[in-house]
Amino acid sequence: MRLYKRMTNLQFTEMDTIISLRDVNKTYPGIVPLHVLKDINLEIQRGELVSIMGASGSGKSTLLNILGILDSYDSGDYVLDGVPIHNLSENRAAELRNHLIGFVFQSFNLINYKNALENVALPLFYQGVSRKTRNALAMEQLERLGLADRATHLPGELSGGQKQRVAIARALVTNPSLILADEPTGALDSHTSKEVMQIFRDLNAEGMTTVIVTHDPNVGAATNRIIRITDGQILPDNV
Amino acid sequence: MFDLIHEIGQTLRNSRLRTFLTGLAVAWGVFMLIILLGMARGVQNSFNEGMGSGVNNSITVWGGMTGKGYKGYKAGRRIQLKDTDMDAVKKDRNNTNVSQVSTTASNDTAQIVSPRGKVTGFNAVFPGADFDMERVTISAGRKINDPDITNLRRSILISEESMHTLFGNDAKPSEVLGKTLKCMGLSWNIVGVYNHRWMSGSYVPYTTYKAITGFDDNIESLVVNYEGIITEEGGDKAEENLRSTLATTHNFATDDNSAIWTWNRLTQSISSGKALIYLQWATWVIGIFTLLTGIVGVSNIMFVSVRERTHEIGIRRAIGAKPRSILTQILAEAVAITAISGYAGVFLGMLVLQVINLLFGSGEDSPISNPTVDISIAVQVTVVLVIAGALAGLLPALKAIKVKPVEALRDE
Repeated sequence: MRLYKRMTNLQFTEMDTIISLRDVNKTYPGIVPLHVLKDINLEIQRGELVSIMGASGSGKSTLLNILGILDSYDSGDYVLDGVPIHNLSENRAAELRNHLIGFVFQSFNLINYKNALENVALPLFYQGVSRKTRNALAMEQLERLGLADRATHLPGELSGGQKQRVAIARALVTNPSLILADEPTGALDSHTSKEVMQIFRDLNAEGMTTVIVTHDPNVGAATNRIIRITDGQILPDNV
Repeated sequence: MFDLIHEIGQTLRNSRLRTFLTGLAVAWGVFMLIILLGMARGVQNSFNEGMGSGVNNSITVWGGMTGKGYKGYKAGRRIQLKDTDMDAVKKDRNNTNVSQVSTTASNDTAQIVSPRGKVTGFNAVFPGADFDMERVTISAGRKINDPDITNLRRSILISEESMHTLFGNDAKPSEVLGKTLKCMGLSWNIVGVYNHRWMSGSYVPYTTYKAITGFDDNIESLVVNYEGIITEEGGDKAEENLRSTLATTHNFATDDNSAIWTWNRLTQSISSGKALIYLQWATWVIGIFTLLTGIVGVSNIMFVSVRERTHEIGIRRAIGAKPRSILTQILAEAVAITAISGYAGVFLGMLVLQVINLLFGSGEDSPISNPTVDISIAVQVTVVLVIAGALAGLLPALKAIKVKPVEALRDE
């Protein structure tokens, strides 16, 4: 059902870069234009677990939004999994988000009147997958994250950690190329944060490329590579 | 499609109060429109039944008693209309637009007999002239017609009520056609059966009756039909001219109102018709404004709904919903609310009209009769409402898809 098939195994090894940004700039217009991203150059390889760290206002969320095709950029080049991301129509951007990216947000962003299973299955609804198949795939992910017994619970009936695990299951259900997580532990206590980070580590161990935006040094420390951003510019890698 | 319906159902269930209030606004609008249209139709039906439909273009004249002396004749003289008056009216050039001059007679004592029963009395009529006969609904056969008049046929038109008296309660109109009845010592052929809420008299051709009863030239009434008169002034003028003709023939003063009695249905129907047109217009105008109120309500609530769901729309778009999907869902929600509640409004409206009909819709003096609306109008109202609902949802939906996913996600 995937519209954008991964490259063949041979090409896979040759084209191992999943995210490639070249001289990407972003300015928010206004009376005083705000140049939030300045000549960003970044490459992330397939299978990496990366954190993007920076202070508030450093441009890390803007960078994540651009990586997630939620926002546009002004100049430069961005290639995601071999697909050039520039001047896309809203429909094409939606297709790419649906097929290539799984999002995990700080505030979970679950739909409150849908139960866990329905929330997880929702991205498949927009792929036109049948109800039976998408429920089966969603249940598979909930089982993977140890939430099978919470499938029929509404978000309001779940703990913070459970909600975030549902959100991760939703991110995984379309078998994306990349997981983008925006402060995924920001709303969780330290114990639950560790559990969630362990999930990301486990997923990474299975080969899932994961990019986490955070200002929490502990989260950064749990990743394999830290990209620091200050005043819209990336500092040298600190592996 | 099932998925979309499921999604809509879930969204609407999530905001039950909002959905209920929106639906209520629409249902109320449609309900009121159906009631208004139904009541207007009821008044119109009642009017038509009261006025008759085919002979509203006539003036009927009966002889009276002079109220003042004229040309040496004393007051208090009885005016007896004659056969010759029909020719006089036709020949007087002042009587313009006359299409037919005829008369009617009645016999209240003659018995109409079948092997199983009998009824009493009948009216002798010309086709197209008798007020009562023209407003009945034929169940089987026909009314008295021109060949009956010309050939002096012994044809008879009876009511369903008379049919049951004469042939039993099981008799059906089509079965009694062609059967023979005895009246005034002669056999009469049943040519038609009619149905009416309260009328049950029988009808025979005037000329046949006249031929049987003898050749005196007295007539009970004079019925003058007109064509092409469309104003109340024209109707009044026609009556004035008719009165003038008869005043000349019978020697009474034209301003002697008691010498003859007239029933000018022509003027009456023109003025009543005008009132009915005003009533219909007023009904539609009020109804459309009522509907508009409902539609504005839907649009308003859809705007609020979209505003409240901006964050949810952001989530859906982040995980892959195309703008078209969001647009379709919001429009479908608006259409679903308006269609379901509109249908409920139509159903309730028709139900209430039926109750009104049962309680007040029968009886000779009832101001309303059969206050219903055609199913086609009900369907049209619902279709208009669904389209209006879609339009009401369109602006909020377009607004929703203009918001960038990243901005929508920030909205809490």
